[in-house]
Amino acid sequence: MINLWNLVILRPMLNGLLALAGILPEEVEFGLAIIVLTIVVRVASTPLVLRQLKSTKAMQEMQPKIQELQKKYGKNKQKIQQEMMKVYKEAGVNPIGCMWPMLVQFPIWIALYQSIMKALATTPENLLGLAEHLYSSERIAQAIPVSSHFLWLDLGQPDRTLILAILVGGTMWVQQKMTTAPSADPRQQSTSSTMLLMMPLMFGMFTMMFPSGLPLFWLVSNLIGISTQYFVTGGWGYLKRPAAPSSAHTVPRKRK
Amino acid sequence: MRNRVLVSLVFLCFLALGATSCSPPPQGYSGVMSYDDMLYLGATDGKVRAVNPGARSEGLPFPSSDGEWSFAITVPSKGFLSCGDSSTPATIYSTPVVVDGRVCVGIYDGKVMMLAPSARIEELHFPHRKSGEWTYPDGDDVIGAVVGNLVAVGDTVYVCSSDGVVYALDASSGDQEWRSELSVEKLWTTPVVQGEAIYVSTFDGHIYALSVDDGSLLPWSFEAEVGFASSPLLYGDTILVGSFDDNLYAVRIGDEKPLWRFQGGNWFWALPVVSDGVVYAACLDGKVYALDAESGRVKWDEPFDTGSPIAASPVAVDDSLVVAAQSGDVYVIDMQTGVGARIENPEGDEKPSIDGTTVLASLCGQDGIVYIRAQNNCLYPIDVAGRERKARISLD
Repeated sequence: MINLWNLVILRPMLNGLLALAGILPEEVEFGLAIIVLTIVVRVASTPLVLRQLKSTKAMQEMQPKIQELQKKYGKNKQKIQQEMMKVYKEAGVNPIGCMWPMLVQFPIWIALYQSIMKALATTPENLLGLAEHLYSSERIAQAIPVSSHFLWLDLGQPDRTLILAILVGGTMWVQQKMTTAPSADPRQQSTSSTMLLMMPLMFGMFTMMFPSGLPLFWLVSNLIGISTQYFVTGGWGYLKRPAAPSSAHTVPRKRK
Repeated sequence: MRNRVLVSLVFLCFLALGATSCSPPPQGYSGVMSYDDMLYLGATDGKVRAVNPGARSEGLPFPSSDGEWSFAITVPSKGFLSCGDSSTPATIYSTPVVVDGRVCVGIYDGKVMMLAPSARIEELHFPHRKSGEWTYPDGDDVIGAVVGNLVAVGDTVYVCSSDGVVYALDASSGDQEWRSELSVEKLWTTPVVQGEAIYVSTFDGHIYALSVDDGSLLPWSFEAEVGFASSPLLYGDTILVGSFDDNLYAVRIGDEKPLWRFQGGNWFWALPVVSDGVVYAACLDGKVYALDAESGRVKWDEPFDTGSPIAASPVAVDDSLVVAAQSGDVYVIDMQTGVGARIENPEGDEKPSIDGTTVLASLCGQDGIVYIRAQNNCLYPIDVAGRERKARISLD
C-alpha cells in the first residue's frame, strides 16, 4: 500500500516539485515551486471545487424549507430527519455531497506535505531518504538540495513571527465568511459563528507548528479559493452582506 | 452538525499527517574510531563512548575499569508548547577523532567538544580544563550543525558546519585559529587536508581549496553542474567525490575538467576505498563498483550487487572489502575478483547479517575485525578472515 502511494502519488509530486524548483530562480526556487504547484493542484481540482460550491449553495438555498420543517415538527427529531431527507431527495441534493470534494483533496494535502518535507531534507537522514524517491533527471539533480529560504521564511521550520499564521488564518476566515450564510436559528447561528472563528484559529495554530512550506501552500490555496468563489458566486458573498440572521437570502429577517 | 463533522475530519487528517509523514527527528550516525586498542563512537542516545573490545568480549559490565567511559551530551530544548527549559540528548553524526590522547567530537546541535579520557573516567565536571577539555563555542553560543567528520592535523582541528563556515580550532585550547565563510547552505561534508591546502566539497557543486594557515581561498576551485553528495577523498593529487546526478567524479587538483566520471544508478554517498590503483565505490543503488583510478574504467566483470542502498563507507582489510548495506546485510568481497559472500546471522541464515536495524555509519577495521555501528545502538564485530559475525556489543 505504501509502495503504491509512493509510486502513484508521492514520487510524481515530489519530482514535479523538484523539477519546478530546478527551473525557477535560485534565490526563491522552492517557495515559488510550492506556489506554482499549488496553483496547478488547485486548477486540476477545479471541477471538484465547483461541485462543492454548487452543493453548498444548494444546501443554503434549502435552509428556509428545513427551518419550516423544524418549526412544524418541533422536538420530533426523527420526523424532522425523515422530512429533511425527503426534501433533499426531491431537490436532488446529497447532504454530505459537499464533503466529498474536500475529502478527495486531503490525500493531495498529505502528498504535498510529504513532498515538501522530503524535498527540503532538513536532516542528513532525510537527504539520504530522498535519494530513493528521485527520478533520474539532470533537471532534478540540479535542484538538490533545495534552498529552504523564501522571503522571511525558512520553509523547513515553523514560522515563529506570527505573520504567516495571521495570513493563513485571515484568508481562511475570509473564504469561510464568503460562504457561511447567517441563520435565523440562534443555536445554529452561534455554532456557525464559533466555527467561523475556530477553523482559522486552528489553522493559525497549525501554521506555528508545521514547517512553513505547508502553511505557504494553505495560504496560496486560500487565496485561490477566495478568487474562485468571487468569480463563481459573483462577488464577496456573505462577507459584505449584513450578518443579519436570515437563514438564506430569500428569507426576510424575523422581527421580534 | 456539518461543521462538527468538518472539524473532526480536519483533526483526523492532521492525525494522519502526523502519523504518516512527520519528519522523524535526526538520530545521528556517528562511525567508530579505533585508537590504541580502544573504540570511540557517538551513539544515538547522545553519548560518546570509549569501548574496550577486550572487556566487551569478556562480558564485563560497561564501563569496565579497562579504560572505558561514557559521556552524555545534552542540549537545551525549547519546544513550541514546552514550559520552561529542558534538555535533550545531543545528536551525533561525526565520528570522533583522537587528538593527542583526547577525543574530539562535533555535534549536530552546533558544538565541538574535546573530551579527556582521564576526566571522563573520573566523571569530573565538563569541561575539565586542566585535563585539556574544552567546548567550541563557549557557553550557550552555537555554530551551525556539525554533520561531517572532524579532521585533526598537527595541533589543529578542522570543522565544517551547516552555516557554510569552515573552522580551524586550536586542539589544545579550543581557540578559533580562523574561520572561512563559503556562502553555502548545509556544509555537511568532511574536509580533507593535504600539504598547505584543505579541500571541501559542497552541495552547490564546488570543490574549494583553502589555505590551512588562514582559511583564505586558494586560486584553484572546481565547479560541477550539480551538487556534490559526498565528502571528498584524496588519492594522490586526485579528488574523488560523488554527485547528485549519480556520478562519481575524479578531479585532478589544478584541473578545470574532471579526469573521469562514472555513472552509477544512484548517488555515491559513501566514501570510496582506494587500494593499488583501484577505486572501490559503494553506491545507493546497492552496488559496489571497482574502477581504475586513472581511467575510471570498470575492473570487475559485474559490479557486486547487495540489493540494498549502501550509505556506510566500506573498509578494506587485507584483500577483502567489507561492505554493509542499509538493510543490515554485510558482505566480504574479494577485491581482485569482485566475488563476495554474505556474513551469516548467527540467529538464522534467512535473517540479514544484522537484523532489525539499519546501517548508516562508516565501518571501522581493527586487527582483522570490522566494527559496524548500527542504528539500534549496538556494535557488531565481524571477523573478516573467519567470515563470521561475533556477539553484538550493546551500547545501552
